[in-house]
Amino acid sequence: MLPMLDVAFGPQPLALPFLAALALGAIGVGVAVASMRARVRDAALLAAFVAAMAALLLSQSVAAFMLSWEAMALISAFLVGTHAEQRYVRRALIAYAIVGQIGALCILAAFALLGAHAGSYDFAAIAASATTLAPGMRIAVALLAFVGFGSKAGLAPMHFWLPRAHPAAPAPASALLSGVMLAVALYGLALVGWSLAQPLPAAFGIGVTLIGAFGAVLGALYASVETDVKRLLAYSSVEQSGIAASVLGLAFAARAFDLPQLASLALLAFFFHVLVHAAFKSLLFLGAGRIVDATGTSDLEQLGGLMYTLRYSAPLIVLGGAAAAALPVTGGFAAEWLIFRGFIAALAAQHPALQIAALAAILALALAGGLALAAFAKFVGIGLLGRRRSEHVTAAERASAPFFGLAWFAGAIVVLGLVPDLALRVFGPIARTLAGVAPDPGGIAGLSRSLAIVPLLAAAATAWVARSRAIAWRPTWTCGSAVTRRAQYTATAFAKPLARIFAFALLPTRERTIERGDANFPSALRYETHLRYPIDEITRAASAAMQRWARRTRIVQGGRLRVYLAYAVIGACVLFWLAR
Amino acid sequence: MIAHLVQVAALLLAAPLVQGVLTTLRARLQGRPGPSPLQPYRTLRKLAHKGIVVPLDASLAFLSAPAIFASASVMLAWLVPVATTLRPIDAVAIALVAALGRFALVLAALDARSSFEGMAASRESAFAALAEAPLVLALASTTLAQTHALAAFCSAGAIFLVNLFETARIPIDNQETHYELTMIHEGLALEFAGRHLALVQYGAAVRQAALMLICALLLPGSGLATIAWFAALVAITPLVERTFAKVRLFEIPSLFALATLLALGGIAMRIPGIGTW
Repeated sequence: MLPMLDVAFGPQPLALPFLAALALGAIGVGVAVASMRARVRDAALLAAFVAAMAALLLSQSVAAFMLSWEAMALISAFLVGTHAEQRYVRRALIAYAIVGQIGALCILAAFALLGAHAGSYDFAAIAASATTLAPGMRIAVALLAFVGFGSKAGLAPMHFWLPRAHPAAPAPASALLSGVMLAVALYGLALVGWSLAQPLPAAFGIGVTLIGAFGAVLGALYASVETDVKRLLAYSSVEQSGIAASVLGLAFAARAFDLPQLASLALLAFFFHVLVHAAFKSLLFLGAGRIVDATGTSDLEQLGGLMYTLRYSAPLIVLGGAAAAALPVTGGFAAEWLIFRGFIAALAAQHPALQIAALAAILALALAGGLALAAFAKFVGIGLLGRRRSEHVTAAERASAPFFGLAWFAGAIVVLGLVPDLALRVFGPIARTLAGVAPDPGGIAGLSRSLAIVPLLAAAATAWVARSRAIAWRPTWTCGSAVTRRAQYTATAFAKPLARIFAFALLPTRERTIERGDANFPSALRYETHLRYPIDEITRAASAAMQRWARRTRIVQGGRLRVYLAYAVIGACVLFWLAR
Repeated sequence: MIAHLVQVAALLLAAPLVQGVLTTLRARLQGRPGPSPLQPYRTLRKLAHKGIVVPLDASLAFLSAPAIFASASVMLAWLVPVATTLRPIDAVAIALVAALGRFALVLAALDARSSFEGMAASRESAFAALAEAPLVLALASTTLAQTHALAAFCSAGAIFLVNLFETARIPIDNQETHYELTMIHEGLALEFAGRHLALVQYGAAVRQAALMLICALLLPGSGLATIAWFAALVAITPLVERTFAKVRLFEIPSLFALATLLALGGIAMRIPGIGTW
């Protein structure tokens, strides 16, 4: 048998945190799907998707990895294309497939270079001979892996397909795509960077950090001005992917500078973030599915007033939003805290490039965090609270619904928020195995426990308010005019200050036409606003150019038998000439 | 430990007094006698004895928001390191606990379904997004060894600007107005009454006192020097309010840009190998 086709599976320490995230996501989504009574085909696809990701994480050879990778890509494409009768889904599917296949080719090329050098396609053998790789080759492998895995992980500017493809899939599939598959893609990058092509130059780690931080800001900014529930979540995934990549890059750079303590801490933060993101993003996508099922729309401008109809799911979605904004008592807070601890520790590292990159990352991640808070205040505040903004009919939710899947993730978020050391105690030894030194997570365990004071105090204070002398329920005071639902703020209006502040990246335009009446006394107005994303447009133009170029190469596939015979003859001649 | 408990108790008890002193000083500087510095306590007592009014169909998000906001403020006071020691400040915990209080109030405002509150929620979220970076950068600088006083003043200056926003003061906001064209912070609290409003006002006072103490901690010296800096900040803040005009709404981002630059300068000067050029 050809050495390239050796299929080997087995556990390895680097994959364990990702397997944990996969298990967390698969259990919750499985519970949700079971209680939804989904079609057999959909359930089977989801199960196969989980199996493919598990196989990928357990792969020990190039063949096993690539087979699982392509299985994962293919099954996820089927999931994205579940509603292929709709045009936007087909377009999203094509974008997803093209980016996925270009990425897969890059990964294959990287593995081919590594395997050719090692003379074996077994991961252990490749890792063993990694240190003798020629510098140019090493850079090529690293860049190919970065493009291949980074495009799958939705790192900006290779993210443009993500906010189209992930929302197109049904909710449980979106939950796994965003919550787990992005992490699996980052696992690939960690695998190549940490063991198969190590030691990588520090510039690579710093580059990954800076690109990740840039993606975090971009994703958070787009999420903060987005008005579609599922696209907002997808942009949040771009942000979270960027955050995870930035801290992974920190681990790479710290290792290159021989700072094992810092590398270990960065790996720990990376692992913990992956796990927490799997929990809250799955919750939010399942919750978005509940919203769409209940109301028939995912447009924030049509939503609102769901706290009493989705009475079980809505509070859990609020919790998920708080976790996505990294607020305390959720796992999101602990993850953010650990990541910042890593970057703050890097400030004292005595390597100017690393210090400047860490400073830039702190600046970017803090800005992204602020923008994410605005995005999720809008997601929750406009999407669930207030009065419903359209005539959608919502029946009161029953407790039996996919609520249990949401509850699983909500439980994970709270447990990881209050007792993060549960996971850290498992991930710590893994980081020690990889970096050689046990990570120092600082005082996060004690801090998380002391933060439990906040909900306890809040409950006590709410009880105190409830014992007020009188509680009157009255219509909101709007200066004497009738309280209509049209008077509420819309998602677009909510995001307008941000769209204006970040006009240089969003290029907002508005059109105001008077339909009836004159300029001084208009009786009907038409007001339209648009945003353009120049950074996305550049990458989209590049991919469209690639598609045109690919179409041109179709000439060789003329479909005429004579041409194919000629190819065969020419091919045979070349082979004979080569083998002479 | 005991010093920490004493400091937390002092912050929780004296926070309304700080707000009262600031209001009185501002009034005096404007040529008015102004209320007594103890007025916030009287207001809180009055509010605690009143009934509450809740918008029709408001949900738990509205009902629990003042409690969450006040609890987050108490936690903020807890997170401030003791003034007598030179301990690094936990930048991320402070920024995110402050964000939790804001998140609760913004959600309550959106739940109250009036466009005034929506406007306030929108502006608050947008500007808070810009305030996060200077806050984290300035506080994170305390994990690095102190170099020269200039670094400390840069970091503290950034926090001072952020505090002007957090405590709704001129030139960024105006505590004295309920005028929808200008308001940011006050708009969030429009629908609260009685004990709800008491919790919001008390929480805001504690938040303000904690953030001012943090600003004082960033300045050189510790112990008595920090207390002196705190007093100086209480004196300077009304002077700033008295001296400057409120800037236009979309000029506010340039103030945050200034704060970010100050914070970056403050932290860069402390980075070993870079700041000691």
